[in-house]
Amino acid sequence: QVSVLYFARSAELAGLRCETLSVPREITSLQLWEEIVKVHPRLAAIRDQVVFAVRQEYVLLGDQLLILQPGDEVAIIPPISGG
Amino acid sequence: MEKSEDVPKDFIKLKLEKLSVDEVSELVVSPYCGAVSLFIGTTRNNFEGKKVIHLEYEAYTSMAETEIKKICRDVRQKWPSVKHIAVHHRLGVVPITEASVIIAVSSPHRAESLEAVMYCINTLKASVPIWKKEIYEDEHSWKENKECFWANSEK
Repeated sequence: QVSVLYFARSAELAGLRCETLSVPREITSLQLWEEIVKVHPRLAAIRDQVVFAVRQEYVLLGDQLLILQPGDEVAIIPPISGG
Repeated sequence: MEKSEDVPKDFIKLKLEKLSVDEVSELVVSPYCGAVSLFIGTTRNNFEGKKVIHLEYEAYTSMAETEIKKICRDVRQKWPSVKHIAVHHRLGVVPITEASVIIAVSSPHRAESLEAVMYCINTLKASVPIWKKEIYEDEHSWKENKECFWANSEK
């Protein structure tokens, strides 16, 4: 069970900012994205523009294998615009 | 305000209230430094012919602070003479012409602080999880920094 955080456009599309999701402990970042899109299909629209932050480290959507612990924070990170 | 030890410090703040140039520059002033360099990011009133009513900023706050700390650490590696670094970023609603970010760096001589300030703002725009939404008269738009490597360059 991980905490998924939504920001900016992804929060608008998902309709919420935070939720708990049950996912396999070992999962690629792309598979994790697909799990999230099952719950929030409107997120598919931004698939090419987001990265994850897993335990506050950026992770691209792809084959990278994630080892998740219960309570880990996973954030959906649309293109940033600070400064 | 005393800085008796004058140990190099990083002052990082994300806040909803109006930012103060005086406050941020005073944080980094040091008797050992002959230079304080500043960058102020302000908000423009127009984009592609549309009138911007105001901006709204949101942040992944805990990670944003961590990423800014990493930037400060990198600055000290690249410019070891840098003394104090302050990065204040505003969140929430920011009216036109008010500052959304202020960065100040002090160093004994001016070259290092000028270069460090530029590095800070450029790297912040590429790596710190903060988002800006421009509110127009009848719609809004999430902005994307060109420095952000995962943004699409063409839409």
